[in-house]
Amino acid sequence: MSREKLKSLGLKLPLFPTTSVGSFPKPDYLAKARAEFSKGKITADELRELERKATKFWIETQEKLGVDVLVDGEMYRGDMVAYFAERFPGFTEGGLVRSYGNRYYHKPIITGEVEWPGPVTVDWWKYAQSLTKKPVKGMLTGAYTIMDWSFNEHYADRRATAMALAGVIRKEVEALIAAGCKIVQIDEPALSVRPEELPIAIEAMEATTKGLDAYFITHACYGAFEQIYPGMLDLAVDNFDLEMSNNELGLLEVFRRQPFTKDISFGVVDVHSHTMEKEDAVRQRVEQALTILSKDQIWVDPDCGLKTRTVEEAIEKLRLCVAAAEAFRN
Amino acid sequence: MSAAAPGLYLSSTGSYPRIGDSPELQVLRKTIAALDRGERTTADLLDAENEMTRRAIAEQVKAGLDVITDGQIRWYDPISHLAGKLENVKIGGLLRFFDTNCYFRQPVLTGKPVRRDPLVVNEYSFARNALGHLPTPKGKAGKLSIKPVLTGPYTLAKFSHAEQTGNGEPESFASLETRAMAYAEALAAEIGALAEYGAELIQVDEPAAVKFPADWAIFETSLAPLIEARDKAREGGRKIEIALYFYFHDCTPLYEKLVKLPADIIGLDCTYNPKLADLIASAGSPKPLGLGLVDARNTRLEDPEVLAWQIDRMLSKIDGGRAYLGPSSGLEYLPRDRAFAKLELLGKVRAALMGPKGSVK
Repeated sequence: MSREKLKSLGLKLPLFPTTSVGSFPKPDYLAKARAEFSKGKITADELRELERKATKFWIETQEKLGVDVLVDGEMYRGDMVAYFAERFPGFTEGGLVRSYGNRYYHKPIITGEVEWPGPVTVDWWKYAQSLTKKPVKGMLTGAYTIMDWSFNEHYADRRATAMALAGVIRKEVEALIAAGCKIVQIDEPALSVRPEELPIAIEAMEATTKGLDAYFITHACYGAFEQIYPGMLDLAVDNFDLEMSNNELGLLEVFRRQPFTKDISFGVVDVHSHTMEKEDAVRQRVEQALTILSKDQIWVDPDCGLKTRTVEEAIEKLRLCVAAAEAFRN
Repeated sequence: MSAAAPGLYLSSTGSYPRIGDSPELQVLRKTIAALDRGERTTADLLDAENEMTRRAIAEQVKAGLDVITDGQIRWYDPISHLAGKLENVKIGGLLRFFDTNCYFRQPVLTGKPVRRDPLVVNEYSFARNALGHLPTPKGKAGKLSIKPVLTGPYTLAKFSHAEQTGNGEPESFASLETRAMAYAEALAAEIGALAEYGAELIQVDEPAAVKFPADWAIFETSLAPLIEARDKAREGGRKIEIALYFYFHDCTPLYEKLVKLPADIIGLDCTYNPKLADLIASAGSPKPLGLGLVDARNTRLEDPEVLAWQIDRMLSKIDGGRAYLGPSSGLEYLPRDRAFAKLELLGKVRAALMGPKGSVK
C-alpha cells in the first residue's frame, strides 16, 4: 500500500481515487482530421490544433465528472506501440500484418540500436497538466510490451531487446518527472502472454523505474494472470491497473489464495460492451473488492482504455466509476 | 525434392499473408470492407479469396516448395473457420491466440458440434486446381502437392466453451473431453472426405497440446477417431498420411511423447528452444519430422548455412531420412515480403545442404 508514498509526493488523494486507463474516443472532427492528414489534405499544425482541442475537451470532462487522477486521453496517438516506434530511432515501419478478421496494422521492426530522441510525450503531458490542478498521469508503454509487439532484427534475443527498450523508456520517465509529473503509468498488456518470461518483464520494469521519484502504475489486461500471480507483484510499480469486470472478478479468487500486496486500479466497468452497467452492479464490484482488499489499496476505474466506445458511452462509464467511488467514501 | 537430399522436402506450415502493401494485394481486405458496407456481394468475396489463394500458391511454387497449402486465405482465424461450419456452434467474442498479437473468435457450443457439410474439402479442391493451372517448374513435374490443414480437436475444444442455458443438453459439453471428442468425430469425417478427394498428406495443428500438457490424456484420446479415419481410408485403397503439427511453445519437454503419437509425421516448432534441434540430433526420431527451423514470428532471416548444418546432423537420425523443412508456424504473422523471403530461405538451406558440388555435405 502506497498512500504514504503518494503523500510524500505531495498528492492528497481521497479514498478510492478515481482514474481511467488512458485512451478516450476521438471526437468525430478529430477522427476525420486524422484521415485527412494521412491523405495530405491538412497540415501537421492543423491536426495538432484539433488534437489539443480534443485533449482540452477530455480534461474538462474528467474535471466535471469529478475524476481524481486525470489522463490526456491520447488524442494524438493511434496505436500504443506504433506511437513510440514511429519516434524512436532504431525502428522501421513493417508491412501489414493481421490483428484479427479483416483488421491489419503495420507492425514495427527493430532494425538498429533503439535510441531516445528526446521527450516524445512530455509536451502533451505539460499541455494537459496546464489545463487542470488535478494530477495528470504520464502515459507510456512498457519495454516488454513494445518488444513483444515488434519484430526484432537487431538484438540477440528477447531479453536484450526488452532491456534496451527499458533504457529508452526510463529516459522518457525521467523527462516526465523533470517536467513535474508525479504519477507515471507504464502499460504492459503483454505481461502474461509468455508466463515463462515474467522475469524479463520484471527486470525491464526495474530498469525503467528503479530509484525514480514517482508513483508508478502499470496497466495489464486480457491475460492469463493466474499463471503469473503472485510473481507479477515483483514488478517495480506501486499500483496494478487490472481489468476485473471482463473476467467477472475471477481474479479476486486468485487474490484470496495469495494476498495482493500493492495498490490496485480496480476495473469496475467493461470497456468492450455498449451495455451500460447499473450503478448498483458497479457498487457491488467495489463491495466485492473490499472482501479481499483494504480500502487504502483500491482505486476505481474502467477495465481498459475507453477509445472503442462512443464519446457518450465513455463519459457514462466514467461517471459510473466516480459514483461508485463516492458511494464508498461516504 | 532434390535428388541429392532425397528425404528433405520443403513445406509450408499452413497460413500465408492475405494482404500485401501494393494495391493489387489488398483486394481481399477491400472486398470484405465493401461487402460490410453492402457495396459488394458474396460472389465478389469468393472471387477475391480465389485471387489471393492463387497468389499464395504461386508464391510458394516460385519459392521452390514441394508441399504447398492454400495459405488458409479464407480463414477468419484458426478456430472459428472450422468450428463455425459445424452445427450447434455459435461464434462469440475475441480472444488472443496464444502469445501472438492476433485474435480469434471463440466458439460457443449450444449442443454437440456436428459436421453436416464439408469444412475444407472445397478449398482443397480449388487449391489443387489452381496449382494445376500454374506452369510446373523445371524438375518438379509430378512432385508438387497440396496439403490441406485442419486445426485439431483438442485445440478447437480448448478454445471453445459450452453455452450455459440450463436446459441440460448443452451443458454436457462443458467438459473439455466431451468437446474434444465431438470435434474429433467431425474432423474424422472431414479426413475421410479429404482422402476421397485425393489428399495424400493432411496437416492437423495441435498447438494447445504443448502449451497445456496437463491435458495430455484428453489430447491423445481425441486423436483416435482421426487415426481411425486415416486407417479406414487406407483400407479403401487411399494413400494418406497425417502430419501433426505443434508450435507456439517449447516442444522439448514433450519430445519423447510427441514422436510416439500415432500420426505419420510430427511437425515441431524448433524456434522456442534451441536445444530441441540438439535433442533430435542425439535422440533421433522413429518417424518423419516436420522441422520448423525458420522463425515464422520474426522478420529476421536465418543464416542458411547454419540451418543446413542443423538439418545435416538431424536428418540421418530421423526414420527413413525423411523430413519436411518449413516455417515454425503459419506465415500470416509476417508481412508479405518477409513471408516470401522466409520461403525463399528454405530453398537456400537445401542448396547449402547439398554443397557446392550438388551432393550432400
